[in-house]
Amino acid sequence: MLSALILIPLAGALVISLWPRQWSGRQIWLVTLLVQALSLLWGGWIAWQFDIQQPDLQFVESLPWIDALGLTYQLGVDGLSMPLLLINSLLGGIAVYASSATIQRPRLYFSLVLLINTAVAGAFLAHNLLLFFIFYELELIPLYLLIAIWGGARRGYAATKFLIYTAASGALILGGFLGVAWLGGAGSFNYDVTLAQSMTLLQQSLLLGAILVGFGIKVPLFPFHTWLPDAHVEASTPVSVLLAGVLLKLGTYGIVRFGLLLLPDAWNLFAPWLAIWAVVSVLYGSLAAIAQTDMKKMVAYSSIGHMGYVLLAAAAATPLAILGTVMQMVSHGLISGLLFLLVGVVYAKTGTRDLTVLCGLLNPERGLPITGSLMIIGVMASAGIPGMVGFIAEFVVFRGSFVAFPIPTLLCMVGSGLTAVYFLLLVNRAFFGRLQVAPASDKVEPDVLLPRVAWRDHVPALALALLIVALGLQPNWLFRWSEVTTIAWRSPAIAVAQPLPLDSSEPLRF
Amino acid sequence: MTNILSPDIKPHPLQAYIERLLQAEALLPDTENNLMQVVGILKSYGVVLDAYAVNLKYIANHQFLLLFPFFKYFNGEITLNKLLKHWWHDRINYEYAEYCMRAMLWHGGGGLDAYLDTDEFKQNCEQAIRAKLKGNLLMQGLHRLFPEFLLEQVRQSAYYSGLGQFWTVMSEIFLTLSDLYDQKRITAIPEVVAHIKNGLVAAAALPITYSVEIQGDRYDLLPASAGLTFLMDTAVPYVEAIFFRGTPFLGTVSYNAQAQQISPDQSRFAYGALYADPVPVGGSGIPPTLLMQDMRHFLPDYLADYYRQSLRGDEDVRVQITQSFQKSMFCVTSAALQGLLPHAANTADAGEQAANQAFLASWMDRLMSSRLAVVNLPSD
Repeated sequence: MLSALILIPLAGALVISLWPRQWSGRQIWLVTLLVQALSLLWGGWIAWQFDIQQPDLQFVESLPWIDALGLTYQLGVDGLSMPLLLINSLLGGIAVYASSATIQRPRLYFSLVLLINTAVAGAFLAHNLLLFFIFYELELIPLYLLIAIWGGARRGYAATKFLIYTAASGALILGGFLGVAWLGGAGSFNYDVTLAQSMTLLQQSLLLGAILVGFGIKVPLFPFHTWLPDAHVEASTPVSVLLAGVLLKLGTYGIVRFGLLLLPDAWNLFAPWLAIWAVVSVLYGSLAAIAQTDMKKMVAYSSIGHMGYVLLAAAAATPLAILGTVMQMVSHGLISGLLFLLVGVVYAKTGTRDLTVLCGLLNPERGLPITGSLMIIGVMASAGIPGMVGFIAEFVVFRGSFVAFPIPTLLCMVGSGLTAVYFLLLVNRAFFGRLQVAPASDKVEPDVLLPRVAWRDHVPALALALLIVALGLQPNWLFRWSEVTTIAWRSPAIAVAQPLPLDSSEPLRF
Repeated sequence: MTNILSPDIKPHPLQAYIERLLQAEALLPDTENNLMQVVGILKSYGVVLDAYAVNLKYIANHQFLLLFPFFKYFNGEITLNKLLKHWWHDRINYEYAEYCMRAMLWHGGGGLDAYLDTDEFKQNCEQAIRAKLKGNLLMQGLHRLFPEFLLEQVRQSAYYSGLGQFWTVMSEIFLTLSDLYDQKRITAIPEVVAHIKNGLVAAAALPITYSVEIQGDRYDLLPASAGLTFLMDTAVPYVEAIFFRGTPFLGTVSYNAQAQQISPDQSRFAYGALYADPVPVGGSGIPPTLLMQDMRHFLPDYLADYYRQSLRGDEDVRVQITQSFQKSMFCVTSAALQGLLPHAANTADAGEQAANQAFLASWMDRLMSSRLAVVNLPSD
């Protein structure tokens, strides 16, 4: 059943790339969209069947693959991965919808996009360390090609930098996984939270260090973040949506799944430092975002800041905080997906993302009023305005982390305030004032005339904006998948802080 | 010791336009496209102006000294249908006419403005106010306390009436122009200018008068004996107040008035129709949007089709209307300047030529910062 989530996009990619007949770009676009819709529907079906009262792994599939290596094709889904799977299918569909049907070499492009969805779904589902690693690495190649072929002017540089960083990340993670399996004395790489029980604290700490840096590159956390702004700036809009919305989540998911849960003793030791690392990452990302003049770079740095919250919550490791990690991952996926889509529209229509040039895009007749309005919704959500999913996710993160690390939590809240600073700068510069899309000059020039944005191009951003508001007003739709799972993880080993006075059989109430 | 600058012998930077005006051409280039836009927009402007004029005169005559004129835009016909249409906002925005009226009242100029400060006017006014307040003790007391208040209201009524009379004539000129264009009897921009100029000249001496009827008695507020005429007492102040000076409204101009970014000297204002930025039009709360919204209802088919073919189609139609409107206003300005030339344009007398040149140069000085250069960019 779960395999279908991997096989549907994989089959789609194979059909698109190998089908012997000549297809027009539009046909390929349509087929890819259908494949993504099918995979979203299938994900929805699994969510429908998912028992939210059951904290354990569900729909487990296990096939021996290479026994000698300890590699088993073992899949399962729990409260941590269920929402992320849905986000993967949703943003995958949106990325395809937002791609141009007239793109160059459509067969390769769309099959690579599907391959990314295959790999990410596989990584979220894998419950074998080696299997996770294979999927984790599999996603790297299509993304590299998507940036290197369809990217902007400095695409070669950005793609190579991405490749080098992520390859290093992969090597560290592989090293960590090998260590966990060998030092833990297990015969296989199957995921088991008791794997590290027999290890000494030093062994656990070394392995956790490797795993943290490995996933920290992917998240990315300061100071391993430098590949991300470059990759975003050069990537096309749909690729940015995938990168920010889905691929970064692999890093945070890995930190929670393979750091916090797998190496709890070392995590316990590291937690205060991780909280400080989170603060540094949040504040650095936010302050760097304030200094940006490229809209896309600003959104990229904001991602660095917002992913820091996930580390903070994971460090605190209270049940509420762990629930917060899932919510923040989903919330950031939706919000950054929306922001990148909108920046893409602005760039497509004005030919620039330079905040020193753009002005007045909210102009009702000649500007991009709907895009601008959606952008205001997006930045409000990102800044944590109540009524939208960004608020509820950040609230849960801060509420869950405060009991464990009050000072770092307060400092992260400052980062949340800084989000309002840089995004208000963005909105104020680019969307208010007199419409302008080129530097002011003394030359006599005709009045600014931007091409219209077709309704078709508003659809993905509108869908995301609706979802952001809906989940903000009804957060239960988001945390119902995860709360039982995260509460069940509350074991003495990972309860760094005083747990909240909650009965684990009682769902969380706000 | 002071240096004495040598006299400026450089030609005026806008000398080309001065020559155009002297040769009976327009400030706007003569192209087929410009002609179509100008005539088309003036046609819808004519229709709108007529509606404005009717309402302005109605307010002046029938809403005299009503301090809460709730139904002033209804021209005396209050029905549920009209109310619903009003609230639905699918209506003529008479607020724009009032904006123009107030701009004229504020900037003043011309004989009308001067007459409103004479003792004769004040006496006539007092009689009308007394008649109006008969039996209304509260208002009589208010009038005693603030004798300038109702007087200023009457001055405003006089401007309601004056602008209404001016626009009645202008509307007729523009609608005839459109008819002549439809009959192919107007085929070039200079002919448009000539038509408007002839209309202005023909109406130049038309008397501007205003009287109100209160309880069966008629009270002259602008009597014929005051000698107010169409051209010098309404048209010229109108051009000055609306085309040139205007008022800076947030939404079209960004300014910090406390930092004196708006000149304290209102004669140096340059926010009128010839200077206005068309791009912000369509935003709420700014007068140009009201006018363009009104004209949008009456665009001739050929112009509506032309707008629809543009890059944004109907989406930015109000901005496109503003651009065409600005072009047409440069034609009207051309006509007005030619009509006001101190001497015949083709005079052979060197002294008269110099006077003409100086007259036009002084106006061109003011047009330096206008949108003249932009409307002269080749369209399409």
